[in-house]
Amino acid sequence: MMLTTSPDTKKILVCCGTGCQASGSLEVYRELNKKLAPDTGVQVETYTKATGCNGWCEQGPLVKILPDDITYCHVAVADVEAIVEKTIKNGELIKKLLYRDPATKKQVKSHHEIDFYKKQHKIALRHIGEIDPASIEDYLDWGGYQALQKALTMSPQDIITEVIRSGLRGRGGAGFPTGIKWQSCAGQEEPAKYIICNGDEGDPGAFMDRSIMEGDPHTVLEGMIIASLAIGAGHGFIYVRDEYELAITNLTRAINDARIHGYLGHNIMGRDHSFDIEIVRGGGAFVCGEETALITSIEGNVGEPRDKYVFPTAKGLWGKPTVINNVETWANIPVIVKDGAEKFASIGTDKSKGTKVFSLVGKVVNTGLVEVPMGTSLREIIYDIGGGILKGRAFKAVQTGGPSGGCIPADLLDLKVDFDSLTEAGSMMGSGGLIVMDEHTCMVEVARYYLHFLAGESCGKCVPCREGIRCMLEILTRICEGKGEAADLDMLEDLGKTLEIASLCALGKTAPNPVLSTLRYFRSEYETHIRDHRCPAGVCRSLTEFYVDPEICNGCGLCTKNCPVNAISGEKKEPHLISQELCIRCGECFNRCNFMAIKVK
Amino acid sequence: MKIIINDQEVNAVYGETLLETSRKAGIHIPTLCYHEAFGGEGRCRMCMVEVEKNGLKKVVAACTYPVTDEVSVRTSTPVIDKIRRNIIMLLYKCASGSPLLQDLFREYGCSDNSLQEDPEERCILCNLCVKACEEIGISAISLIMRGTDKRVATPYSQAAEVCIGCGTCARICPTGAIPMVDEGRQRTIWSKNFELISCERCGSFFATREELTHMASVNEALDIDTCLCENCRKKMVAEKISKYNCS
Repeated sequence: MMLTTSPDTKKILVCCGTGCQASGSLEVYRELNKKLAPDTGVQVETYTKATGCNGWCEQGPLVKILPDDITYCHVAVADVEAIVEKTIKNGELIKKLLYRDPATKKQVKSHHEIDFYKKQHKIALRHIGEIDPASIEDYLDWGGYQALQKALTMSPQDIITEVIRSGLRGRGGAGFPTGIKWQSCAGQEEPAKYIICNGDEGDPGAFMDRSIMEGDPHTVLEGMIIASLAIGAGHGFIYVRDEYELAITNLTRAINDARIHGYLGHNIMGRDHSFDIEIVRGGGAFVCGEETALITSIEGNVGEPRDKYVFPTAKGLWGKPTVINNVETWANIPVIVKDGAEKFASIGTDKSKGTKVFSLVGKVVNTGLVEVPMGTSLREIIYDIGGGILKGRAFKAVQTGGPSGGCIPADLLDLKVDFDSLTEAGSMMGSGGLIVMDEHTCMVEVARYYLHFLAGESCGKCVPCREGIRCMLEILTRICEGKGEAADLDMLEDLGKTLEIASLCALGKTAPNPVLSTLRYFRSEYETHIRDHRCPAGVCRSLTEFYVDPEICNGCGLCTKNCPVNAISGEKKEPHLISQELCIRCGECFNRCNFMAIKVK
Repeated sequence: MKIIINDQEVNAVYGETLLETSRKAGIHIPTLCYHEAFGGEGRCRMCMVEVEKNGLKKVVAACTYPVTDEVSVRTSTPVIDKIRRNIIMLLYKCASGSPLLQDLFREYGCSDNSLQEDPEERCILCNLCVKACEEIGISAISLIMRGTDKRVATPYSQAAEVCIGCGTCARICPTGAIPMVDEGRQRTIWSKNFELISCERCGSFFATREELTHMASVNEALDIDTCLCENCRKKMVAEKISKYNCS
């Protein structure tokens, strides 16, 4: 549907990203359409659309009303009638649906006034939450495919030079300069070349690429089509994680619409260049996010990586020169081509240009998707945008870069985030996961958890990764069970180094990061587990004993109510007592107590 | 072209792997998963060597690294020796039942540690059996699962219909991890029983019927009606040649 609406038309944007859908936004959208149907007698001209993810998932389902610039949070079907009657018909605000700023305790009318959005700079996510991902017309209304029109007037080399000058580096993790990659592929004599979009996002808690594929599929296509002009490719593939149903639906629709409009297929826009894109669904293996494994998987083989002494730009898919970039990288291309390299390069740090999308999750107030200029500090992301730590607890660490990233401690909170600073700190950018951990997190258990994940997700091809992770996991498990030995930490470091150097692919080379970074910054916590048989965070069950501090406990009874094994007793308004015999060390009382009266021995 | 390996100048063919170059020059680089018939896959990582190019050093797998520049190579450095020792230690821990790994564990001077051992296991997942089966044109076995659950198996771990019981997998296995039991006329391998055919000359049981049928289907020159074991076949050929020479 075209947005040929008058300025007075009320535009109602319902967030239908996966997070909001899970909270019932589709029902809200349907109810709104029902209540605003022409036969209901609503006199105001309205236009509703379902958008992609707004990123502020904590507050979903979100409903935005334009031109009034009103943002309603946690909207339920039952709220729709009031929205129509009060806000749409009479312009009244519904206070209970507005966001309440926890600092000023005041209700905020628009999301534009909230720190979560004010501090962001959106390039890759520029359309998401604003446009209807199912409508190519909406994309065109927002300037879509203008970059392609411009690219058609440029020579292939000019396009590549523009991307090189922008300083864009691959957003999938390794941070390789995108333009250099294209140049290398364009220079290959082999005429058949391929373009691949890596949408096999597998990091736990990460949904950057998902959000782009679901919320703005055409931007990915436009980026790929521009690259096809630059390197002379005739065929492209989008490899999408199998679980991303909505992304696959929206991309499939976008590809069909782009074909109908002449942006894809034979003789694009009437020119002597043909390019088409096909979607490949992943098989559910995390390792297929690694580019050579992904290529092997598209070829129909088991997704095992290969040594990259010859890059895919020379020998990639079916042995032909291939450019493979991540979803977010593709989303930046139309902006660089349309607005010029200088503008893009003016954002970010010396060696990392532009912005980066992070999925901010864990023990942070505002979980969601944020896009900030490279060089923004962790503190700004976690405290200014993220709103700080849940329940006002203390920050302990943030894990960046997915399961094989490292954990960064509090004294590095002012670290300016870019590709190089994170690597120096013993972590990595990865694809942009940010998992915030509070004081109730055991860093040994965190390392064990990620190694357990990687033990199942390593492809198992090379010995250092497969057997090294197995042995490191064995050591971490016994430390968590209180059976650690003094020599264990040296052995972890020794094995970690072997994995870093000898593993075949980046999964194995980075797999020791969670262990080595926690050993670097939280070594004493490991030592306490081994030497004192104690888990200071109260997480490792075999090493934890909870007790009630009688000085603090006011006998509110919240712990008693939540204890699953009735191990806590005590009179109302009197200090309570935990029976160590009955206690299963689940930590429920510790987490529930509002007065920090439960302590860890 | 010429490259330097351990301070020695050696001849190399552009594009061949570093392992091939070294082997031709008689320079030893240890391997566990490599076989000339299939080329390198970079699985065991025992062949890691240090390559220096334009003053930059990096550690690469010799079995997959192509020689395209005049590089300088070291096949043993403290870092590489450590990697090899750790790899042997890791493989010994997961396949302690293998006599080869037990020997290597001692040879590489691995110090014992408290990590668990599996005395029942011998497989090091080198993939040679799978490649050999594939090369023969059967593909009855493959690597299944991933990560620490990876293993070699027939489909659904049941007797594979396509298996011809030739035993190539068992013979190529460097660690003796594939049990193949020949008892009288019967061979059992991968949970499947086969009838063995005896040699017309010496009477020894030498091949399964399925194997002979398969070989005849891919090699028209093979006459399966004259059932001769490898030794007797050689003898027969030798007799023919000597007759020809005499006459």
